[in-house]
Amino acid sequence: MIFRFRGGIHPKTNKLTHDSHTVAFPLPEKLFIPLSQHIGKPAFPCVNAGDIVKKGSLIGIADGDFSANVYSSACGTVENIVTMPLSNGNACKHVVIKVNGNDEYTKLEPLVNPDAHRIIERIKEAGIVGMGGATFPTHIKLAPKNPVDTLIINGAECEPYITCDYRVIIEHIEDFIGGILIEAETLNVKRILIGIERINAEAVKVLRAATADIPEISVAALPVKYPQGSEKQLIYALTKRVVPQGKLPSDVGVAVSNVQTAYAIKRAVSYGEPLIERVVTISGDIDDDKRGNYIIPTGVTVKDIADYVSANNYKKIISGGPMMGFALSNMSVAVTKGSSAILFFNENKLLSKPSPCINCARCARACPLRLMPMYIDAYASAGELDKALKYGAMDCFECGSCAYVCPAKRPLVQAIRLAKKTIKEKKQ
Amino acid sequence: MNLSVSSSPHITSSLTVRRIMLRVMIALTPVIIVAVCLFGFYVLIMLGVSVGVAVLSEYLFNKITNRPQSTGDCSAVVSGAIFALNLPVTAPLYLVVVGSAFAIVIVKMLFGGIGKNFANPAATARIFVTLAWASAMSAFVQPVDYSGGFSAFFSTMQYALNGAGVEAVTSATPLADNSISTLNLFFGNHAGSLGEVCALAILSGGIFLLATRTIDFKIPLVTLASFSLFTLILCGADKILPSLLSGAILFGAFFMATDYSSSPNSNVAIVIYSVGIGFLSVIIRVYGNYPEGVSFSILLMNILSPLLDLLIIPRAFGKRREVTK
Repeated sequence: MIFRFRGGIHPKTNKLTHDSHTVAFPLPEKLFIPLSQHIGKPAFPCVNAGDIVKKGSLIGIADGDFSANVYSSACGTVENIVTMPLSNGNACKHVVIKVNGNDEYTKLEPLVNPDAHRIIERIKEAGIVGMGGATFPTHIKLAPKNPVDTLIINGAECEPYITCDYRVIIEHIEDFIGGILIEAETLNVKRILIGIERINAEAVKVLRAATADIPEISVAALPVKYPQGSEKQLIYALTKRVVPQGKLPSDVGVAVSNVQTAYAIKRAVSYGEPLIERVVTISGDIDDDKRGNYIIPTGVTVKDIADYVSANNYKKIISGGPMMGFALSNMSVAVTKGSSAILFFNENKLLSKPSPCINCARCARACPLRLMPMYIDAYASAGELDKALKYGAMDCFECGSCAYVCPAKRPLVQAIRLAKKTIKEKKQ
Repeated sequence: MNLSVSSSPHITSSLTVRRIMLRVMIALTPVIIVAVCLFGFYVLIMLGVSVGVAVLSEYLFNKITNRPQSTGDCSAVVSGAIFALNLPVTAPLYLVVVGSAFAIVIVKMLFGGIGKNFANPAATARIFVTLAWASAMSAFVQPVDYSGGFSAFFSTMQYALNGAGVEAVTSATPLADNSISTLNLFFGNHAGSLGEVCALAILSGGIFLLATRTIDFKIPLVTLASFSLFTLILCGADKILPSLLSGAILFGAFFMATDYSSSPNSNVAIVIYSVGIGFLSVIIRVYGNYPEGVSFSILLMNILSPLLDLLIIPRAFGKRREVTK
């Protein structure tokens, strides 16, 4: 039984790389590996300039529990440690590694029949974080404070263009399911729901066939609707449970995991591989044969990718999907554990100027949270933040559906984002 | 390399305000065609003058008040056309000119232009001209009789200058006359305002608006349901269909009550608003001095709608009911 969440939009899916088999991205000369590829404290660098590292060498140690280890994704020499911007504009320390072309991989010890405690330890050790974009440290997520009875695997991939999770499911079905079972065992849950949009019916078919004799797992084909992959909307769609504002999925007994996270867990636990690469969709207005799903080591920069796919004349580069991703101002931004896509566009699709609100309420109908973005925008622009607050400005999770549907092309979610920031600053 | 940077989302839908207005014009086309066929060439002149005056007055208003031009969104075209379709063919041209300018300047632009007007321009202008030129506005004539040849197509031109001299030909509208068959009401073969006579044309335009999701289905649906319900209560079941098919209720429910800026935005408020329009329309028809009350009902509920939106803020998904202390 699937429950339709309220609101949502239907942008053109543009899954241009749907059928592109994953391929390894060639190692560039230098890697710029960020020490903050997760929510929480940045990892603490444990290498110095001149050190020789191997693929799989620890280069950043988690700073406390709310942090994650960072490993070198290639063999080479540490050149230096520099501070550079991330895709979201925040700056953090990056370990610069001059790649030497060797292919020595120092793996962790594979675990055989580990218990939950050992699994969580390994996940923390391997530096695994949520790979859907939020990059929440997975070892914390798998040890929730409240008891959990359901594990949801988020394979919705509702952002246009992005196909990396879909490819991982159909190409690594066994390891993917293995990872899910490890997560379920750690959480001690008996119900596993995998949500996949109908546009990826192939993945639904493959998964149903592969899990036919695992009664705990059921695969749901979800309607194609953005933001189907938003955590709280997905939980509602699959379980009808509503996560209260300001609460976490575990408060309603649910844990949610991303496809590539599950895959990474399997690799870390059973093969001893730390998280040093991920599948990234490269797409947008570039040549057909260059678009694809690439296995990219962390620390490869957007410049390397642009050179490789010979993306010329692009006006806009987006890290992530076109709905919630970040437009990059700087080509030196590196691929991290949370990068799902790098999109190149040769025009800015937002050139039309905003005109006055016509009060059509399309934004209110599109809002998955039942907010009224036009009023939040109007009050926030007029400086009446208390009224913006009353209309639920702080509840917005910035999916952007309102700004997408607005016929007057008003930057609604952008105005709400600004209002949220201003309200937060005023509180302090 | 200069990269353009913006806050997400980086894509938007292709829908624009102008395209929405174009859709409304497409939806009005069957109504306009039927009106021209039934009431002759003068209807084209009325529509042309009304639309022209509407666009021109918006243009001049922006010019005089030194505001950015807004005529490009085509909303004045829609307002002008809907106002003209609210008139009987006996309305003289000066009435069309004054009413159309009133709709745009007084009702729309003085309150801040598109999206800011709290009242429906066409409905308010209709009320204004009804009060100002009561006789011309209540003089309804039968559709053109083509039995004597096509020249009858131009016969209604006589009303262009002297709308007042038409009392001799005044014919009862279905609101006062029970003898008109339901079939004639459905196809429009009876006296009435230009846009309101033919239920078939209104419904086809309305269905187009619903299919393209240009209007919220709740407004026409609830308005007509509430109208039918209160007609049933006050007049009996046999009156429901003739009442629905006559007068301004169908046209109002699809084309006027659905005006974005003067209707509320949250679901509960929309239902209250629509029920109110249906209820007031029946009350005015049954108990009022005016034979027709749809424009009054729409205007009254328009006035209420900002209040409804202020009082009814939908509870956000995942938001707990606030506990009052």
